[in-house]
This record gives sequence, structure tokens and C-alpha cells, in this order.
Amino acid sequence: MSKIIGAVEIGTSQAKALVGEVGEDGSLNVVGMASRPNEGMRKGEIVDFRKAAAAVHAALEEAEKMSGTTVDSVYLAQTGAHLDGQMLRGSAFVASSDNRVAVDDLQRAESEAKRRQPETGRSYVHHVRTPIVLDEKVVEDPVGLIGKKIDVGYWSIDGDDQAIRSALHVISNYSLEVDDLILSSIASATMVAGPDLRRAGSLVIDLGAGVTDLVLYHQGYVAYTGVIPVGGDHVTGDLSMGLRILEPYAEKLKIEHGKASPDPSDDEEDVWIIGNKTIGDRSVSRKAISDVIHVRVVELFEIIRKELGSLLDANELKGGILLTGGGSQMPGIEQVAGKVLGLPVRKAGFPPGIEPELAQPENATVLGLLHYGLQDHSLPGQKKDQEQTGFLEKLAHTFGIG
Amino acid sequence: MTQDNFLDQDTVFSKTNETPGIRAKIIGVGGAGLSLVDGLRLDNFQSVEQLAVDVDSRALSECIASEKLAIGRRHTRGMGTGGDFALARKAAEEEKDSIRKKLDGMDVVFLLAGLGGGTGGGAVSVIARLAREAGALVFAFCPLPFSWEKGRHAQAEDCMTELRKFANAVVPLPNDSLLQIGGADATALECFAEAGRNVSKGISAICSLIFRKGMIDVDFVHLRKAFYRRAGRTLFGYGEGEGEDAIRHALRELMLCPMLHLPEVSKAADALLILITGGTGMGMSALQQAALEIREEFKAGDHVVFGAHVDENMGNRVQIIVLGATDLEAGVKADVAPVADQVIMAKPKSKQSHASKLKSKPIADSTTKGSKKTRTGKKDQVDQNTFEFMEEQNQRGIFDDLSSRNLYEGEDLDVPAYLRRGVKIAV
Repeated sequence: MSKIIGAVEIGTSQAKALVGEVGEDGSLNVVGMASRPNEGMRKGEIVDFRKAAAAVHAALEEAEKMSGTTVDSVYLAQTGAHLDGQMLRGSAFVASSDNRVAVDDLQRAESEAKRRQPETGRSYVHHVRTPIVLDEKVVEDPVGLIGKKIDVGYWSIDGDDQAIRSALHVISNYSLEVDDLILSSIASATMVAGPDLRRAGSLVIDLGAGVTDLVLYHQGYVAYTGVIPVGGDHVTGDLSMGLRILEPYAEKLKIEHGKASPDPSDDEEDVWIIGNKTIGDRSVSRKAISDVIHVRVVELFEIIRKELGSLLDANELKGGILLTGGGSQMPGIEQVAGKVLGLPVRKAGFPPGIEPELAQPENATVLGLLHYGLQDHSLPGQKKDQEQTGFLEKLAHTFGIG
Repeated sequence: MTQDNFLDQDTVFSKTNETPGIRAKIIGVGGAGLSLVDGLRLDNFQSVEQLAVDVDSRALSECIASEKLAIGRRHTRGMGTGGDFALARKAAEEEKDSIRKKLDGMDVVFLLAGLGGGTGGGAVSVIARLAREAGALVFAFCPLPFSWEKGRHAQAEDCMTELRKFANAVVPLPNDSLLQIGGADATALECFAEAGRNVSKGISAICSLIFRKGMIDVDFVHLRKAFYRRAGRTLFGYGEGEGEDAIRHALRELMLCPMLHLPEVSKAADALLILITGGTGMGMSALQQAALEIREEFKAGDHVVFGAHVDENMGNRVQIIVLGATDLEAGVKADVAPVADQVIMAKPKSKQSHASKLKSKPIADSTTKGSKKTRTGKKDQVDQNTFEFMEEQNQRGIFDDLSSRNLYEGEDLDVPAYLRRGVKIAV
């Protein structure tokens, strides 16, 4: 029997809902998808609950209608500047007398790693496992191997309770459960950076409307995640102020004529702001548009460079740097990024099998949610359900919505 | 917009048609304030006094203001504060009595102070408070340091918050955005000079509104009423046009004024002062139309003060100046209740000035009524559809929330990058 799963991304410009059907063979088929403009968010965080909820509910309703079915639970993307990531490590000595690693040893290491609680008012959103090390050697599955000491690490993202609670309430208000909270950056990367790229080491930058999400993989595992509270809305705001036009026109100019750096070939050319020759319309030079955008985009990548520091190492990033998200459609952005970051940067593509109309950069996160949700991220020997229930029970308990 | 015509304009502030009785004082505080005062050319404006206040006695001696007041002598022996605004505040507090004397009887006080400096930043809010206590209407024009001057910039913002508690309107003049003023090839110095001229224009606009008779006059009581509440955010802009369609050109330039397109500038105004100055050929209907459009652009409610002055020296040019304030905490009155509020109504001299304007007042009223009529029936006017459409779209900016700041290494990332990086955008 096939199984229906859902995914929701409460994005700053759009709320997106996706309904997927998992076949008996484990194949995923997207059967419903809808987006609704979301006016309830700023920089990846909900500022107007009603508006955000209305957008999400409308998107969910339409996605369900399209699929001809209903979902009971969804994977929910989480982003926002309130998120903070850190590496938690735990270790355990192998207990058995013959030094053979047992599931129990792994679990002890895991609970030691996760022992550290976040500050009050904050909760863990996501624990991402990093390689298991058995006596200083990276192993896929240590159970049954001979060794003395097991080390596990979790890249753990904690966030502000209030912000997480708002997002969860949007879903629970629609009488749905949340299967899991997944970091937006990791969801996007799951979609656009395949296992090979992640193993080779890659950085995925998701240029959203409200925020820019980053995830860096070393040897197939998450080594860093970050959220920069600057997104496409900032570009629109800058254009609105720099060209002295209203924001809707600034947004339109950005999408139709925006370039990440000035282009000498069409600098002299002017474009109309409203475009229908009404009174009050005027023209601006393409150079003015790209000048405004260029400064902002350069600054964004400079911040990314500063945040990553020594992690931005060509030898560790053989998979390259990939751009996705709506902002990655800006012409010339990969060249600007490459120049600032000092490494080659390219626009991310989608793996084959994703329908062309879905395979748009702004859908990377919501598509990735489903794919990530399907994969098994638990420790070897541990049932997936077991860990998940534990996590959600704790969240439900924290937020009183169980 | 050239310096020449600005100078021309000043020469018409002759004392013959000045309204007597109302007193205004322009006070420059600290280095930046003093140089702004020096840049003002209001020589023919008899009722407007100029006062320079500084800790640095040498800078004071070089200033051309008619009155001077040195503060903080005990602490600095006549030298500057070296950026220590707490010291300047203390110095101003200690000289309270002499400052009060200088403010005595003033109806309008213009404060010019660079908030990034010690003296300007520290003393200006004290002077603003004293001026409000003395019953004056206080307008402050404040240059702010570049945002890359991180420490100073942060200090300036604190000073501005403090100043907003007392002044009726605080117009920020951020150095970042001053670079956007002027032509594409203008140097930084030229931009600053241009900005200084614009401040002068703003001040002369308010002065001429108060002191001169014009085509459409509004008396001081109206101005006071409109700006009675303490200022949240303000807007200040100017535009100038020439030729047959001068008003329309001026309006267009006004809407493009860089001073109106800053993160800290309000997009709507609860209180709005509009002053249009034009040559003898300025038509009444065009004026009405312009006033209406400005009013709608800034969503100004009932508190609009509209004045129009004819000035033969303007030829076929028209100049529009707007000054607006938005009260973020609607209904909150100034921390210091202006004691003279009732008094001013009772003062014989202000009554007189009130009466002297009765003739022109009906015109002002009919303009208001007229605009209301056109407002209801405006859909028939092709000319206006654009503006109506734009008005609906003119919501608050994406990052309009002043309370939250998106700080990264001391810079607010919500402020446009080109402003913070000093990149000039040619519009």
C-alpha cells in the first residue's frame, strides 16, 4: 500500500505545501503542490500569525485538493535568524569484554552528546548526525566491529521557543501533526546536492526572500549550517529606496531586469518602472538597478565568507559551491559569489525524475523536505520511529500541544 | 536647483512684509551645527536670531552667528569635548540658566546639531528640552555620521532617540544618504554643501510660512497645532520645477528627493507642512492639485499646514518643500508640556497676527474643501489615477520596523547596502 506524506515550508514570500505519495518500492511521487503569497513573515520569522496561517492553510488546502487525498502529518521546514548551530560530541567505551561494538554502546555515546540542554527559552530543532568514529577511524556502521571507543557527533540546531511554537501552531491549527522539523538549508541541499557531491564536500547556499540558508558538507556529513538574515526582500527594499520607487515596482524591476553586477553592454539602456506609460511612470537606467543589487549581493557573500572562515577550504569542498532558492535566478549571481568566496560557484540543478515545473530553485526546500523525511537518519540499529517519537514528544511537551 | 536661485529667494524676505510678534531662533550646537548655521543665509530675516552653542571656544569665535554661548568651560577650559557626549550633556545642564535666557520668548526654535559629535550629540537634547519648556516649537535638523563610523553612529542613534522625546520634529540627515544628493559627478563636499543648502531651504520655508504674507497663509497657531505632538519619525523633502509645467516637475522632483527615501524616514505623515513658492504666474488650480497630491502621497490626515507664496524672483520656477512628522505613539504628548500653549492664544500679538490673516484664511479653507470634493470625485480625473493607484500601494516599507535592528558587526543589514557603502546611485 502506498503512503501519503506532506511537506510545508512557511517561506517569507511564499507558503508552500506539497503532498507526496510513497510507493511500496519506496519511490516518491509528488501528487499535489501549491504556493500562496505569504505576508505574515519577515526575514524567515512569523510576524503576523493570522496572515502566515491563512497562507499556509490555503496552500495546504489546494495541494490536498490537487492530490485528491488528505495528509495527516507534514514535515516542516525551519529557518530564521534565531537558529543557532553547534557541534555536540559524545563518546562511550565499548562495554563488552570482547571489544565488539553493540547498539547499546552507540546509544550511550548518543545520549552523552545530546545531554547538553539549550538555554531556557530555546529548544533543539534538529540534530544532524556526523560520522561515527571508532578508535579514530570513520565507520559507517560500527555495530559488530572490534574497537575500544566510540565517538559520535551531532550538529545541533537550537532555536527560539517562541518562533518554533508559532510555526508549529500554524500546522496544528490545520489539524495536522508535524512529523519532524527539518532545517531549510538541509532540506534544500538534500534536493540539489546528491550523495556524491556531499561526500566530496560542498556548500549549498539557498537564497530565499527573507533569509539566506547555508549548509556545508564535509565528507558527506553536515559540518556547518547557518542562516543569514538577508534575502531577496532586502534587494527589493534597496531598489525601492535607491531608485525611489514603491516596493511592488521595485520587486517587478528586480525580477525583470535585475542583474547581480553591472553589465557594460546594456548600461546605457533605460527601462520603464511601471511599463504601461501611465502618468507618473518614469524610466531608470539598468546601471542604477544593477549598482544597487551588486552592493547588496557582494555584502551578502562577504558575510557568508566571514561566517564560514576556515571552513571555506577548496580541498574540503571538491563538490563545489551551489546556489539555489529564488535568488539564484538573478543573472550573474554565481560570478559575484565566486569572486567574493574565491571558489567556483554554480547554480544548482535538480536530479532527474523531478517534474520540470516543480524543478525550480525556489522549490528546493519544500521538495527536499519530502526526500529528507523519507531517508533514515537514525543511528544504525536504531529504529527510525523510536527516535522521532521521542523528539516530537519532547517538543509537544515543551509547547503544550501534544 | 542651483545655489543662485536659493540666494535670490532669500532676498525677498524683506522686513516690510514680515509678520511681527513671532520670534524664532536658529541654534547651532557643536561643530557640525555651527557650520550649518554659517551656511544659512537668512540675513534679511530680521525676526530670526542665530545662536551658536559650543564647548570649543575657538570654533565659536569663528562662527558668524550673532549670539554665542560657550558651555562647559569649567570642564574643558574652552577646548572641545573630544566626542564625549556625556560631558557635553553635563556642561549643557550646568549652563541651563543661561540657555534658558537665550530661549526666553521664542516661539520657534530650529536646532542644528551633528549627532555624531560630542557637543552636538550631548547638548542638543538638553537644549531641546529647555526650548520645549519655554513653550517653543522645536524643529531639529541633525546630520548623522556614516554607518561605517560604527561607534559614533550608534551613539548618534541614541542621541536621536533622546532628542525625539523633546523636539516636535527631528529631521535626520544621514551622511550615508547625503552622498546620494546632487549630480552623478558631484564630489562628497559638493553633496554636503547641497545638503546644507537644502536645510537652509527647509528652515526658510518654515520661516517664510510664519513671517511672510503669501497667497495662502497659515498662521503660527496652525503650525503649532499640527506639530504639537512629539515627533516619532519625520520626513523632509524638496523639489523644484521650471517652465510651463513647473508644478508638475517640482512634484516629480519632490517624489524623487533622496531625503524622502531613507530607512529612518517616514512614508506617511500625521502632520504635514507643505510650502509652495512660485513666480507670479503660479495658477491656483495647479496649486490645489499639487497640494492634494502631496497630501495623498504622504497620507496626511487633517493636520496639514499648506502655504503658498508668490515671489516674483522665482520667474517660472516653482519650489515645493514638505516637512512631516509621524507620531509613532499616537496620542502621546510631549514629555514636557509646552507651558505657553494657552498663553500664546491669549497673547495680544498673536491674536493680531491671527486677525491679519483672516483675509487669506477663507482661501485656505476653500482649498481644503475643494480638495475634499475632488478627492471623492477623483476617479473621473485621468490625471490622478496613477497617484491614486500608487497611494494604495504605498504601504509601509518592508523593513520599516524601527524597533528591531538586524545587526551584523555593528551595521544594520536592513539598511540598504548602497547607503552604508557610500555607493552613489544615479536615478
